[in-house]
Amino acid sequence: MEENKLDLAALKKIGMIQQKQKELFAMRLRAVGGDLTVKQLAKIAEVAEKYGSGFVHLSTRQGVEIHNVHHSNLEKARNELDTVDIKMGACGPRVRIVVACPGDSTCRWGIIDTKTIAKELDAKYFREDTPHKFKLAVTGCPHNCAKATENDIGVMGAILPRWSGATCTDCGLCVNICPTKAIEKCPGSAGKNEYLLLQDKCINCSICTASCPANSWVIEKKGHNLFIGGTMGKIPRFGTILKKLLNKNELDILVEKSLRYYQKDGRKKERFGHMIDRIGIEKVKGDLLDGI
Amino acid sequence: MEFNIKKAVDLHNVSCPMNFVKTKAALAQINSGELLEMILDEGEAMVNVPRSLKEEGHIVIKVEPLGETFRVIVRKG
Repeated sequence: MEENKLDLAALKKIGMIQQKQKELFAMRLRAVGGDLTVKQLAKIAEVAEKYGSGFVHLSTRQGVEIHNVHHSNLEKARNELDTVDIKMGACGPRVRIVVACPGDSTCRWGIIDTKTIAKELDAKYFREDTPHKFKLAVTGCPHNCAKATENDIGVMGAILPRWSGATCTDCGLCVNICPTKAIEKCPGSAGKNEYLLLQDKCINCSICTASCPANSWVIEKKGHNLFIGGTMGKIPRFGTILKKLLNKNELDILVEKSLRYYQKDGRKKERFGHMIDRIGIEKVKGDLLDGI
Repeated sequence: MEFNIKKAVDLHNVSCPMNFVKTKAALAQINSGELLEMILDEGEAMVNVPRSLKEEGHIVIKVEPLGETFRVIVRKG
């Protein structure tokens, strides 16, 4: 097939992106949460050697791209990758590959099972058409390594700490390590100090519960903080917190509502966050949280 | 409050994980129940070292801010 007869939009949709060298394509592969087996890596290497130019490019979203593939080889390369269950990625105005940190599978700070959540989101929404690109990220805790706040939808593991005074030795560690100064020391009864959590300031990170030498800060609740409307690009915008400490079911409902809201009201080439700014965050929050 | 400090170690400008390595070396020189005084930098050091101490069974008993650093007193477990 000649280059001018290729259906570029259809190819782009499945992550086969025409390079500036018009006969060559970049093949963007789908690796949810950046996970690949060694068998898949070996196959990628083989395909990149055979059809590409012997190297791979690691994308900013944990993906692997094989560059410099001639259009006449795209289908063959795709079929060979498919033998080890590597599917193609996505490009253009649609839901992109979901990124995730390793979460509680390996990380000492991980609060949630990021890999399972990322896979579920991918299975539900991958490649759905949207007004502009739509990116999701799942990060295990408020250290935010997977940059949930730079994505259209950001899911973040979160805990609610509670101070149980009985065992407290008044060492002052919590007040001094809380990254947002959300813990206040105040004089309590019988000359003993008490520690108070300022919930508005707390980012639900678990540094106090993990570090307290007397186990006086305990995890009252685990959940998910949901951010909407984050983006990088020409007009960067951090995600806005929609709701804190959601359970999994509430999270699923709100992600679904957020995406549908954007699909319905977003203008062409308008990112979710910019749509939120156009409509007004309070109105958007009201619409999305109605009934939650 | 005054403490009966057995050993002191200044870890200002010592980054992770070397600050914890030096903490462990200092703890090795005192007996269980005795006190070690440390100077730790704010930020990463304060997030990591006290938690690692807890995981190894030592007990932080006092933390005081000291400019950009903290004075941390720990009882060997």
